[in-house]
Amino acid sequence: MSSTPIVASRRRAATRRWRFNSAYLFIAPSVILIGVFIAEPIVQSGWMSLHNWTVGESTHKFVGLDNYTNLFHDSRFWNALKVTAIYTAAVSVGQVVLGLAIASRLRRTTWYSALLRTAYFFPFIASLVVVGIIWKFLLDPQVGLVDAWLTDIGISPPDWLQSTSWALPTVIVVGIWKNVGFTMIVLLASMQQVSADLYEAAALDGAGSWQRFRNVTLPALRPALLFTTLIATISGLQLFDLVFSMTSGGPIFHTESVVMYLYEKGFVEFQMGYASALAWVLFVIILAISAVQLRVLRYRDAD
Amino acid sequence: MLFAHRQAAVPLAAAAVVSVLIAGCSSNSSGDSAGGVVKLSMLTGFTGPDEPSYQALIKQFNATHPKIKVTMTVEPWATVGQKLPASWATGQGPDLATPSSDPGSIFNYIKTNSVLPLDSTVGSGSTQIDSSAFPSTVKAAFTVNGKLYAVPANMATLVLYYNKDMFTAAGIKAAPTTEDELIADAKKLTVGSGNKPSQYGMSLADNNTIQMWPILQWMSGGDIIGTNNCAAINSPASVSALTKWSGLVNDNHISPVGQSGAGADTLFSSKKAAMEINGPWAAAGFKSAGINLGIAEVPVGSAGPVTLASTVPLMIERTTKHAAEAKQFLAWYTSKTAQTQFSKISGFPPARTDLGSAVASNPTVTTFAKALPYAKLYLAGQQNATQIDADIYVPFIQKIERGADVQSAADSAAKQINALTQCKSN
Repeated sequence: MSSTPIVASRRRAATRRWRFNSAYLFIAPSVILIGVFIAEPIVQSGWMSLHNWTVGESTHKFVGLDNYTNLFHDSRFWNALKVTAIYTAAVSVGQVVLGLAIASRLRRTTWYSALLRTAYFFPFIASLVVVGIIWKFLLDPQVGLVDAWLTDIGISPPDWLQSTSWALPTVIVVGIWKNVGFTMIVLLASMQQVSADLYEAAALDGAGSWQRFRNVTLPALRPALLFTTLIATISGLQLFDLVFSMTSGGPIFHTESVVMYLYEKGFVEFQMGYASALAWVLFVIILAISAVQLRVLRYRDAD
Repeated sequence: MLFAHRQAAVPLAAAAVVSVLIAGCSSNSSGDSAGGVVKLSMLTGFTGPDEPSYQALIKQFNATHPKIKVTMTVEPWATVGQKLPASWATGQGPDLATPSSDPGSIFNYIKTNSVLPLDSTVGSGSTQIDSSAFPSTVKAAFTVNGKLYAVPANMATLVLYYNKDMFTAAGIKAAPTTEDELIADAKKLTVGSGNKPSQYGMSLADNNTIQMWPILQWMSGGDIIGTNNCAAINSPASVSALTKWSGLVNDNHISPVGQSGAGADTLFSSKKAAMEINGPWAAAGFKSAGINLGIAEVPVGSAGPVTLASTVPLMIERTTKHAAEAKQFLAWYTSKTAQTQFSKISGFPPARTDLGSAVASNPTVTTFAKALPYAKLYLAGQQNATQIDADIYVPFIQKIERGADVQSAADSAAKQINALTQCKSN
């Protein structure tokens, strides 16, 4: 254009024309869905947690942080937190260690290792509630297969889901069984990317199979280990479906997790304010633990 | 001017799509009238073997009332309990519903102003609800602040079911009539060594059930909450009754521990237990399971004959469009004809106190009906009944079944109950 530079630059500086960016339209559906179904309920639950909120009532009394202070004095909350912590620690460790062990055994792709991998992975895609109900039947003292087989070989089994000492370990075992397939697949994929040269070099240097595993495989798996541990921890802290379908939090609250307690308070007793406070406290806990894990297990990229 | 025509087409298309989506979200109304017939929707939790009885009753109503059509949907009680509060509070739910098998569940709906008071329809006319004929415990349970909010969808009393074949095998000639006989029989009928008998004398449930343990307390004069709204669970009578019975479970293994209501029913149906205290809904299922079934009154303890009454509240949504027709349905449902008919087909006692002779011909119904005068409701009139049951009573029973000291557990339960009922004493 042959307009004078000074005038043109002044115009350009004064009026910044907005160009329509169609990219916003493309992300609009996702943004709307996330906004309506995820972001807004999160914000609203925070708002609810500051009120004495009973479902269906027309007015809700603002109580500030009362719900949170009551929560910290609630022994049932602390019990739920303890149950959740024990479950999460046991299942994360169990899942990762067992998944690692299975992955390293099934490293080579043969027809039977492929079959076994599928078998181990299958529980992961089954619904949590279905898994819970099926295991409840298997462990039933009157009609369950587990007790039938154990009595056949001469062991007198405890009442798995009704015993205050065995209920939580049983739920933990089912949790590990359900998720080990996922850990196995992720670690397997990572393992198969480790260059064969590294193993050759190590073997030439005289490293045994355990030393190769410790010094070649494990360091290479660090990002995958971090990922699976993080995922296992986050989902463990949200324990609900297994407990709901297997034990309903019993016997005598020995398997009641934080989310189970939240469900009781919010959807059975309709105390949504208190339940929202519980949800937010759990959120902060998960955030804190994830931050710590990321820091501790962070993959320090040396090269 | 800087917009190309191509770019203008994009926002226009987007706007069109969004407006179509919004137009697609229209609310659907429930309970319409088509061609003069008023349609009423009813949601209940009668998923057991007694469901056909309710459906038959409704069919009869529809046949005799051509201008009204009631449709009953059935879902598990837990589902009803989850869906109903929000749907009724927002005026979206069914016209009629039974919110729970627990009569204490009405308080929440009254508090959230979701249900219609029925007093305007009460009276002795043919299209009126004759509430004076209801058993007094029922009328008291459904009257809150002087207003009647529900009618009984059914009226049940618990009786003692027993397996006649097991009794014969153990050499017991007749069903126990006193508490001492009951205890002796339960011990005798528990067969097998250790803590895993092959046959249990009794099938007791402690959670997710119409409660049986309160009866064991009432037999000896104990109770859970006294008339002054304060806990009676740690009274000497209660503690001695519970020590006796928890000892039988823990030491003599007369029953498995921690059974849900459904689990206890299954144990008895599968012929692994000789006795069960249960209600009229179970009779059909037990008979079809092939048990040589005996039904007897609950044995009498030191405090005289007593058993547990259970009634399911049937209520009308406050925002229903067809209040008059819904009230008419309730009036018919609780009328003499309907209750006699229901009693005949279901085996339940009628929910009216003036039908004794009409149902006398059916021996099963008579056994249930005979217990009506001394049947007590569990946690009658308690606003926090559901919470007291789930948070206090059930864990308490589960603890003592596993050998916990009864007095101290009862004292701690009493403290929790008093906090909830706001007991004003000592």
